[in-house]
Amino acid sequence: MNLLGNPPRLTLLFSFWLLLSSGSLDAAEKGQQGVQLNIGTILASNESDDFDPKLSKIKNQLEVIKYRSYRLIKEENQKVPWNGNAAFEIPGGRTLMVMPQEYRNNRISLKVRLLAGEKPLLDTTVRIRNRGNFLLGGPAHEEGVLILSISAMTQ
Amino acid sequence: MELSDWELVQRCQQGEIAAFQELVVKYHRKVFMVVLGIVNHREDAMEIAQETFFRAYRNINGFKGGSSFYTWLYRIAVNLSIDFQRRQKRSPVEFRETMDDLMDKGEGAKLANDPYVDVQGREIGKRLLAAIDELTPDHKAVIVMRAIEGLSYKDIGRVLGCSEGTVMSRLHYARKKLQEKLGPYL
Amino acid sequence: MKDCEVIESSLGAWLDGELDRSEAERVRIHVQECPSCLGEKERLERLQASLKGVLEGGASGLAFEPFWDGVRQRILERKPWHARLWDWARPAFYPQRLAWAIPLVIVFLLGILSLEQFFPGWRWGLNRGNVAAVDSIDGHGFNVAVFRESKTKTTVIWLFEDQEDENESSGESASTDSSF
Repeated sequence: MNLLGNPPRLTLLFSFWLLLSSGSLDAAEKGQQGVQLNIGTILASNESDDFDPKLSKIKNQLEVIKYRSYRLIKEENQKVPWNGNAAFEIPGGRTLMVMPQEYRNNRISLKVRLLAGEKPLLDTTVRIRNRGNFLLGGPAHEEGVLILSISAMTQ
Repeated sequence: MELSDWELVQRCQQGEIAAFQELVVKYHRKVFMVVLGIVNHREDAMEIAQETFFRAYRNINGFKGGSSFYTWLYRIAVNLSIDFQRRQKRSPVEFRETMDDLMDKGEGAKLANDPYVDVQGREIGKRLLAAIDELTPDHKAVIVMRAIEGLSYKDIGRVLGCSEGTVMSRLHYARKKLQEKLGPYL
Repeated sequence: MKDCEVIESSLGAWLDGELDRSEAERVRIHVQECPSCLGEKERLERLQASLKGVLEGGASGLAFEPFWDGVRQRILERKPWHARLWDWARPAFYPQRLAWAIPLVIVFLLGILSLEQFFPGWRWGLNRGNVAAVDSIDGHGFNVAVFRESKTKTTVIWLFEDQEDENESSGESASTDSSF
């Protein structure tokens, strides 16, 4: 059978349909409900050597920061649509605003703003892997500093 | 062995244009006559009859054999003809001129099995054609299909999408009108 | 007389053979006995014959070849794009051996490509890890450092709120350089 010379047409049609539907995966993802954001607020200090077991998954990430103690203060999830704004309360009168902007090549673009009251401290745009995270640290709190683990996952 | 209409249609549905050609051989004259009877103009009838077969070919896969092929085909032809008639209003003079040419050539009398093979016969023919032209498209359709094809009222009803009773009453009306127009010539 | 009016209205259907047996018999008997209705029946028959003759005469000289050429020309030239596409696609729905081989291969390839959804980053290798790209950064007057953790390649943005903290930091200031 000369499969290459005269391929079954249903095969071709079905294949064409499959290719089209695969090409629309990204569009389908973006077209869905948005992004689930997860913000972990971590207190890093040198007051003790305690490491919160709840942070075991990101232990490797935190080690580079060279504090001796890490404690998870709170963890918050929010679902936010594309180009929508999510606000997270950060200890010390601060607010973290996160806006997922677009999804491309398996990366979620996030616009992030950290405020102290009404005053902006930091504006940044970061592209992270879907289900990945980055760390934003530095603001002083109690005996140490705050580190925010910001992760995002498409819905 | 001659294939039935349904067998030919099935072959058409498989893409055999030769099978479709067989159907055209079988029905082209009959379709043309029906269309000509309604639109009363040879060139227009040719266009519409060809269009009928083109549309039948294009929609051949939609024919499931629920009705006979020829009623399906005539439905296409009659619908196209009636639509054409409603769009175009040809003057009786133009019509008579066209058909008069045919009558004067003697073609009609010679080949049509017309019992009046003489001038009087031709005169009846001309008047008859003029009278047909004055009927509405729906009445033309029934009178033409019955006269040419001898189709049953049931089949005519299937083609036109109406009841047998409607076919009967339209035929009665059309024949009455034609008799009135032809008067003493009959 | 009234009978004649009723019979006359049925004459056409009787001649066409469309009446039921009893009705047809009634009309036949009446026509045999009524000269007026007999005359009407004969006029109707002449009308039918003339109609048939005239209409068939109009179709005289209709040659098949030119007619078929016209039809074929329409078939070849006038197909709308979707009709031509359907004509091409139609045989695809006939049973074929090995018809599913190519779609199966494509489904397999798509499955490989879509593993990223379930195992993010696997396609790019384990070494890529959690790399993020910082497209823009503005510390609003504060110093900011961006660096990358070595094991998981996690991106860290560090904000120096207190200027005194700058001396104790392990990162570079106001830089998106990820060379750590």
